[in-house]
Amino acid sequence: MAMKTLKDKYCIVGVGETEYSRGSGRTTRAMAVEAMRNAILDAGLRASDVDGVLDYQGGDSTFANHVAPDLGIRLNFYMDVMGGGSSTEALIGLAMGAIEAGMCNTVAIYRSMNGYSEFRIGGTGARAAQPVRGMDLAQVPFGMRSAGQTFGFTFMRHMYEYGTTSEQVAHVKVAHSKHASQNPKAIQKERVTVQDVVGSRWIVKPLHLLDCCLETDNATCVIVTSAERARDLKARPVYIMGVAGRVSKPRVDYHWVHGPISRVAGYYAKDIVFGQAGIGPEDVDVTGSYDAFTFTTMLQLEEYGFCKKGEGGAYVSSGIIELGGKRPNNTSGGHLCEGYTHGMSMVIENVRQLRRTVDDTCPGAADGKHSYDYSVGKCRQVRDAEITMNLGWAMPATGSALIMRI
Amino acid sequence: MPQPVSYRGMSLIVPDNDSEWKEYYAHARQHRLMLRACNACGLMRYPAMHACPWCMDLGWTWKEVSGRGTIYSYETVVHAIQPGFKDATPYAVVLVELDEQRAKPTADEALRIIANLVKPDGLTFEDAKEVAIGRRVRVVFQDVGESMALPQFTLTDEPPQGRVWRLPE
Ligand SMILES: [Zn+2]
Repeated sequence: MAMKTLKDKYCIVGVGETEYSRGSGRTTRAMAVEAMRNAILDAGLRASDVDGVLDYQGGDSTFANHVAPDLGIRLNFYMDVMGGGSSTEALIGLAMGAIEAGMCNTVAIYRSMNGYSEFRIGGTGARAAQPVRGMDLAQVPFGMRSAGQTFGFTFMRHMYEYGTTSEQVAHVKVAHSKHASQNPKAIQKERVTVQDVVGSRWIVKPLHLLDCCLETDNATCVIVTSAERARDLKARPVYIMGVAGRVSKPRVDYHWVHGPISRVAGYYAKDIVFGQAGIGPEDVDVTGSYDAFTFTTMLQLEEYGFCKKGEGGAYVSSGIIELGGKRPNNTSGGHLCEGYTHGMSMVIENVRQLRRTVDDTCPGAADGKHSYDYSVGKCRQVRDAEITMNLGWAMPATGSALIMRI
Repeated sequence: MPQPVSYRGMSLIVPDNDSEWKEYYAHARQHRLMLRACNACGLMRYPAMHACPWCMDLGWTWKEVSGRGTIYSYETVVHAIQPGFKDATPYAVVLVELDEQRAKPTADEALRIIANLVKPDGLTFEDAKEVAIGRRVRVVFQDVGESMALPQFTLTDEPPQGRVWRLPE
């Protein structure tokens, strides 16, 4: 059955973040407050204009009802959602729903985490020593706990079925490192080569160290409101054309039970999100594909139809996904190079791409004046970007998607 | 069931009210790989969850399977994050597709189980260089304390199923 669409009726009007660091030295509450303040100022709103707050976390962050009052926000609606990757797009959809239902007018969505210095996303430290019970008994006693260990089967089987290679997906890291070299915020700004990636030490075969993202301390925020309200605001509104939230494969608790395991959730999400937006992959100018690992970006780009199923390796190694290519991916450097934010930063980057105001080193960047010189340390604005797409990933069996336009 | 069971620095906890795992691991301790089969449609399922995912029936019967299967996918952990596995690296984790109920009830379905690739003694990890998609395996049981055993898999000399492939290195 065709899904309902709210195409162009809601907008992202503000984005904000804190620094990307490996040691924030402060609480997730303080970081969330700062990211939300930045987003409110970016939108040209006042605190009293925001009456809804959503956040997502895994018991590693601060609740919405603690962050909002720190900024003087009185809430008509708030919720804390359990979730990690792919929650960004899903919560944007939930914010639209809350406004549509008349519960509130403007929703700030944040994610705040000390993912390096406190609760390590990679699963090491205190998390590695937790008792094993319940559903973990199917995996953890066999030395399978981290995200890389949980997803490794998926990429290995893709290599078996389609001949995908380590060298091909290494190009994802290469491309994102090129983009990060134009991003003063990025944790890792050095450009790397395919040889650097495949020559880095093994973590869990088929993943090398440089196939994995960077655990990071950071907070991020986006603000959603109606297109009607957005028209009065300072910032140029970015319109939401379509959104799919946490779409899943069967047997989503144990993703490896249901085959083919080389298929990911985009298989089910793409018709929802493209259907709402009334466009296809060929209409998208910039992608933001969740790069927890190099291969997660490859799998999603392939599953959403940017290339044929099985040809993701060729697609990501063709130059298409690099700045200057036909459809750049993660122009900020993404989770592999800018820093890991559970998907938020890729939506923020695409909002800025559409406004033509990415925060690169071009002197006139804030006013949309860019050089389009993609050599090291220069510009990362994509020329005339009109439609962007975000592909959110929680794991092979769950993903979200968001299409935006200017 | 005495609690908890210690294994490689982990506390494995299967309380008496763990209605999904308690009987599964009790069977494993008797060195039998038993899965739940639906009383209504007859299809087996793993893990041993409460309802049948194919027909929603709540009735089940424990059914023993051969424990023979094929490596459907694998990974080799080189950098262990669990302290108790650091001395075992590199170790292979395998996704085994059991012989029973392959491609049923749809072409995409099968009974798939995660385990380590071990020597026939069930205790020692197999040389990770031996692991490959398509190789045949059988279940062996690694006793953990008095009340539990982990179903693990070891290579057999049966001919492989389909193409044999491992990550080029
Ligand atoms: Zn049934």
